[in-house]
Amino acid sequence: MSNCIIRLMLGNHAIAHGAMEAGIAVAAGYPGTPSSEIIEYLLDNGREFGVYAEWSSNEKVAYEVAYGAALAGARSIVTMKHVGLNVAMDPLMSSAYTGVKGGFVIITADDPGMWSSQNEQDNRWVGLHAYIPVFEPYDPQNAKDLVKLALEFSERHGHPVMMRTVTRVSHVRGPVTVCSPEKPRYSEGYVKEPRRHALVPANARTLKGELLRRWSTIEEDVEDAPHVYIDGNKNLIITSGVAFTYALEAVKNYGVKASILNVVTPVPLPRKVITDAVTRADKVIVIEEGDPVLEQQLKALLYDEDIRVPIMGKMENLFNRVGELTINSVMDGLTKALGIVNPLTSIKTISIDYSPPQRPPVFCPGCPHAASFYELKVSTARSGARPVFSGDIGCYSLGINNPFNEQDLLTNMGSSLGLGMGIYHGTNGKTLVIPIIGDSTFFHTGLPALVNAVYNKTPMLILILDNRVTAMTGGQPNPTSMISIENIAKAVGVDYVRTIDPFDTKKAQDTITEAMSVVKGGGVAVIIMRRGCALEATRLNRGHVARYYVDANACRACGICYNLIACPAIVPLENRKAWIDPNMCVGCSVCAQVCPYNAIKPEGNVKEWLGKWAEM
Amino acid sequence: MRLNIYLTGVGGQGLVTFATVLGDAAIRAGYKALVAETHGLSQRGGSVDVHVRIGDIDAPLIPRGGADVIVAFEIIEAFRAVDYANEDTVFIVNRRLIRPPMIKQKIPSINELENLLRKNIRKLYVVDAYSDAAKLGNIIYENTIILGALYSILRLNQYIPQGVIEESIKMNLRRDIDKNLRAFTIGLKYGNAK
Ligand code: SF4
Ligand code: SF4
Repeated sequence: MSNCIIRLMLGNHAIAHGAMEAGIAVAAGYPGTPSSEIIEYLLDNGREFGVYAEWSSNEKVAYEVAYGAALAGARSIVTMKHVGLNVAMDPLMSSAYTGVKGGFVIITADDPGMWSSQNEQDNRWVGLHAYIPVFEPYDPQNAKDLVKLALEFSERHGHPVMMRTVTRVSHVRGPVTVCSPEKPRYSEGYVKEPRRHALVPANARTLKGELLRRWSTIEEDVEDAPHVYIDGNKNLIITSGVAFTYALEAVKNYGVKASILNVVTPVPLPRKVITDAVTRADKVIVIEEGDPVLEQQLKALLYDEDIRVPIMGKMENLFNRVGELTINSVMDGLTKALGIVNPLTSIKTISIDYSPPQRPPVFCPGCPHAASFYELKVSTARSGARPVFSGDIGCYSLGINNPFNEQDLLTNMGSSLGLGMGIYHGTNGKTLVIPIIGDSTFFHTGLPALVNAVYNKTPMLILILDNRVTAMTGGQPNPTSMISIENIAKAVGVDYVRTIDPFDTKKAQDTITEAMSVVKGGGVAVIIMRRGCALEATRLNRGHVARYYVDANACRACGICYNLIACPAIVPLENRKAWIDPNMCVGCSVCAQVCPYNAIKPEGNVKEWLGKWAEM
Repeated sequence: MRLNIYLTGVGGQGLVTFATVLGDAAIRAGYKALVAETHGLSQRGGSVDVHVRIGDIDAPLIPRGGADVIVAFEIIEAFRAVDYANEDTVFIVNRRLIRPPMIKQKIPSINELENLLRKNIRKLYVVDAYSDAAKLGNIIYENTIILGALYSILRLNQYIPQGVIEESIKMNLRRDIDKNLRAFTIGLKYGNAK
């Protein structure tokens, strides 16, 4: 342990480093907030130690890559956000049957509070559903320790293990003791075991019995996980994950008198550890982030053990069931349960009689998606069409906001095509449907849906907004850099395939209009709107960026530029004329094309810059 | 010792980098530190806040009314942060207004906003980091100037020696170190004047 140092580290980086300290060989994932930084760290830091890491095209593929490696005997992890795990459910359920040879840990990052997600989903349920044990860390250091433990646990039982984090662990930076990585544990060679690895019904039936036997040894083994018990009082708080830190604060700083038991494995429960602690208590309060997973199991357990103490938690609405825990909500619940005064409510807060305007997230200056939405809006309005805009997951989800309002539905990765087809058929062909999907999402789950549209002859205009990266999660690479979307669309039988540059506003509008007539004639049309993400383009080309400015004499204050493309760099002045903030403009040229009075002029070598940008 | 520092601003202003420099410096000086960022759609333009907690702490988020200091990188966002303030909270506000695009409602001028803050907040420090940075040649130094202001106004030298925070700037910013160290020194002046 001599070569260890303490560093401020992001929870996700700590997880990645912990996996390296445990000697992982293979890591795969699909980006999704708040999980993305794990694979990023391994791509940046793992290679020199011999770790193989990849961004897969979706979570199911990522799962299979890591699972396959573990079947062969390598140590591996797979990472994704909570909803990503739904995409991987198919191999996940089976992986508990086959078991694994090398340690295999599934890292799923939940997002209570939905900071960047379409739902709150507590993946500890998945552990119960699939017979996969769940480890839950409470801070970055603990996350690093637990990923190592989980890998060892998995290898010891020959069984997959899940680690569930939440935003407040994955996206918290804290002190972490960082040590040298271990040599990656690759497999010496895959040993064929069809009776175990081939899940035909006869094999699967035998394996289910084996799985249940394994599960009961796992139930015994979790008793020895590093659960924390702090004795102090007849009131007992039971927590798992980040809730432990709130309980500690409550006891240390805010006058709550209670013992605390933090359970490392909410699935399965360490039955003995819990009954020991509960028999010493008069009252049990369960605090957990997400659903009452711990609480429900605890109630069942104590019924079995014939122990009767009052148990309170989310099921009694003691703590918020929507959104994440805060120290305020935890203290509200605790003081209610214990009948004491909440010191936090007596803090004299202040108020000012001015409510600041909302600041919804917007497209970045120069975002090619903003241009695409502008063009789509203009061309559909001009042709008098009233299409259904079937949106999807990515930066372009922001097209839901003013002034675009061009996402009528938006539920999950790749849903734009599928739901669009449903709406087309459900309205008996009366609706013009325009699915809007990004490049990464297209490769994720758009592809099979495109095949379906052609195969089942469902007319739609599919816009693929290809900005060359998975931008929403921070610019991860995806297959678009290697594989031609045009060729794919043609190969599956789409006749009308066009590629346009959203920065060429005239051509973009003409093409969209033409494509709509193809769809009205019963065809499937694909338009690929290709232009690199503005953030990535400026990052890669520092020093080359040219800009635009408004010639105040020429500007007639019509508002078209700032009202229709909503570039954050364009600011309306008091006199309603436009002004471009030179520190924000990235010179995409769209506002200049949109201005009917030629009032927006280039500054610097715009041609060269846009050429460089187009090379992405 | 327990210090709750609440940072607020607009996505893209570099709050996370700022918090990392600060948190890392605290750890180098032997304290515990937790930095929690709330970013939704991870890119720019929206309101962003970052909780930095130093010392005797366990949970990542600051309680409402519990901030010792609120650092607003943008003046409108200072108003959104008042939930975290109490009567003793020090406000350090950058004299910079970033207009939310597409807002129909009229936005008060920067002077009006500043006066509103002065009327309501006892311990208010307004810093001109944006123009200081422009003078230094690039607005990217805005953050480091604010860091200097925070360091001097809160007298953080009691806990984190200046050499340690400079070390953290070197390790975490990596680019244009000399200019950033100058920017930090420029920020220090705000601790002397109210
Ligand atoms: S050229 Fe116009 S639209 Fe493009 S980034 Fe600059 S101000 Fe915004
Ligand atoms: S579109 Fe042209 S004329 Fe109209 S406000 Fe913008 S710059 Fe001025």
